[in-house]
Amino acid sequence: MPDSQPILEVLDLHVHFKMLAGVVRAVDGVDFTVERGRCLGIVGESGCGKSVTARSILRLLPSSETTGQILYHPNGSDQPIDLVSLDAKGDAIRAIRGKDIAMIFQEPMTSLTPVYTIGEQIMESIRQHQDLSEEEARDLAISMLNKVGIPDAERRFADYPHQMSGGMRQRVMIAIALCCEPRVLIADEPTTALDVTIQAQILRLIRSLQQDLDMSVIMITHDLAVIAQLADFVIVMYLGQMAEKAPVVELFQDPKHPYTQALLRSIVRPDTPPREQLHSISGSVPDPRNAPSGCRFRNRCPSVHDRCAEDPPVIEFGPQHTATCWLYVDE
Amino acid sequence: MSDTPILQVENLSKFFPVQRGLLRRTVGHVKAVNDVSFTVNKGECVGLVGESGCGKTTVARCLLRLVEPDQGRILLHGEQQTFDIASASRKEMLDVRRQMQIIFQDPFSSLDPRWRVTDVIAEPLMAQKVGRGEAARRVLDILPTVGLGAHFADRFPHELSGGERQRVSIARALIVSPPLVVADEPVSALDVSVRSQIINLLLDLQSQMNLTYVFIAHDLSIVKHISHRIAVMYLGRLVEFGTTQQVFEECKHPYTKALLASVLIPDPTHREQSYVLEGEVPSPLNPPSGCHFSTRCPFAQEQCSAEEPDLRDMGGGHWVRCHFAEELDLSEEIFAPQFDTLPASP
Repeated sequence: MPDSQPILEVLDLHVHFKMLAGVVRAVDGVDFTVERGRCLGIVGESGCGKSVTARSILRLLPSSETTGQILYHPNGSDQPIDLVSLDAKGDAIRAIRGKDIAMIFQEPMTSLTPVYTIGEQIMESIRQHQDLSEEEARDLAISMLNKVGIPDAERRFADYPHQMSGGMRQRVMIAIALCCEPRVLIADEPTTALDVTIQAQILRLIRSLQQDLDMSVIMITHDLAVIAQLADFVIVMYLGQMAEKAPVVELFQDPKHPYTQALLRSIVRPDTPPREQLHSISGSVPDPRNAPSGCRFRNRCPSVHDRCAEDPPVIEFGPQHTATCWLYVDE
Repeated sequence: MSDTPILQVENLSKFFPVQRGLLRRTVGHVKAVNDVSFTVNKGECVGLVGESGCGKTTVARCLLRLVEPDQGRILLHGEQQTFDIASASRKEMLDVRRQMQIIFQDPFSSLDPRWRVTDVIAEPLMAQKVGRGEAARRVLDILPTVGLGAHFADRFPHELSGGERQRVSIARALIVSPPLVVADEPVSALDVSVRSQIINLLLDLQSQMNLTYVFIAHDLSIVKHISHRIAVMYLGRLVEFGTTQQVFEECKHPYTKALLASVLIPDPTHREQSYVLEGEVPSPLNPPSGCHFSTRCPFAQEQCSAEEPDLRDMGGGHWVRCHFAEELDLSEEIFAPQFDTLPASP
């Protein structure tokens, strides 16, 4: 069992995009801690801010206003680094990005450049961060390709991305992310574009690498089944806000926020009676520019109340379980 | 639901030529759909599942002649007459399309951005030479059926959310009151909270209007939920066909078993199930000899790569394409744990 040391702490993170039509509050007050060797799941629908949260950790966002703190605890140092205070184009973040904290993006089709071989793309990442000769980098790249389960890695090394299938490309993305043995891996919907049998392979790969390298994983997905299978701790997001956070078993067995409850009820499970009506949430996720004030879920919430027009309080249900909702406050 | 067939697909094949070089010489064929046969009865929902490249979308497109089938017959038993869609004339296809419509996967690209909702929905009526006034009236009639208010009629697709667009697609398919609807991945582009709304709508419409569905999806839990019978495809071949019960609970093909086992269970206390299939789907240009699944099958024997098995009736309308369908024991114990049984932390 890994010890529960924090490796990444996100405190009161806000990311606002200024647009012609107004300010989009893509992330509005998110707090979480990633522990060493553990998997944190971030779940939510489109527009909930899960990808923006991930990108803000690596400072990959263009012209946004990011406030709050993202504290990274490097190995063997008591002094955390606040990633928000770093220059997004400076050397300090570039030394961390790709080396200590790496990311797998959603689309394996568009995240690799078509004009370089996959071998060159892996070696680029290696030589950016490690002082290795071309020969050594090549050996390391081939061993990474083997590790992520690409057969005949020696030969595939010289392939261009278009010569590979989606599953293979996603493995190359993982190889690039893992070649510098990152301490935190951010996986943004890593299996959404893949078939079910390949999804199972990739998730098993991430899980086993997480254990071998004692790596922390931030798994971002809309799929509650992926969360159930991989995460230790879960954050549920809706329109930029945290609806609920809890350890995974507690979240699935005793959800507190009406949004979490509705999401969990709406998925088809193995024991759902066939052809019966499913529970569903009325309406759809509003445009973030027209998000309701107060609780942003209130126009779809089955337990809505007058006071929901005001910002809901954070209620604690256990040492690690909170929900942001008025429902549990007596009038 | 009855036992009267409305659609009979017999030995359907579609081969796409692969051309190379300056002279565009044909160097081979992708056997996208290879000798597929199945029937769909009135009022039922037949699910078509398989991984990408298995040919399920090509089957759907052949059914509506959006691609020309190369071989086989597609018999549609209409109210008055029976059509063979594979060889129907242009004029007959007009009649066919009054009996059968399609809902596409991606509501963001299947609606013309310059058309108002009312024009989008009325388009099939225009093709059927219905007058404008009559068409507009029928559009207003159908909007509430799919859960949209009359004020949606004058909107443009970009003003709608994904779920609303998919409702428009459904309205467009249903406007000519077709008895048969082909739905090609109708919910996979939608958010989780909207997905269940659309599934509920499809189920409601089916019982209200006595519709028959051919439902194509890669999400097995949704297919299981909505379908009466399920066809499993692999590399252009139908490998198993039967009732939902037969395919999900008593499956006899190792590929079906592997597909079912890779479905993730949304329960953190059940992490120790499932078998993970090794390798990837081979290229459909050069499928393996014999049984196409033999290269990935944990039970493959010499016979499997030598001879291609036939689709055989196992009794009770359960068809399986495997040499060893009778002998294989596909019970859970054989299948290795999916993850190294690491429990969720307390």
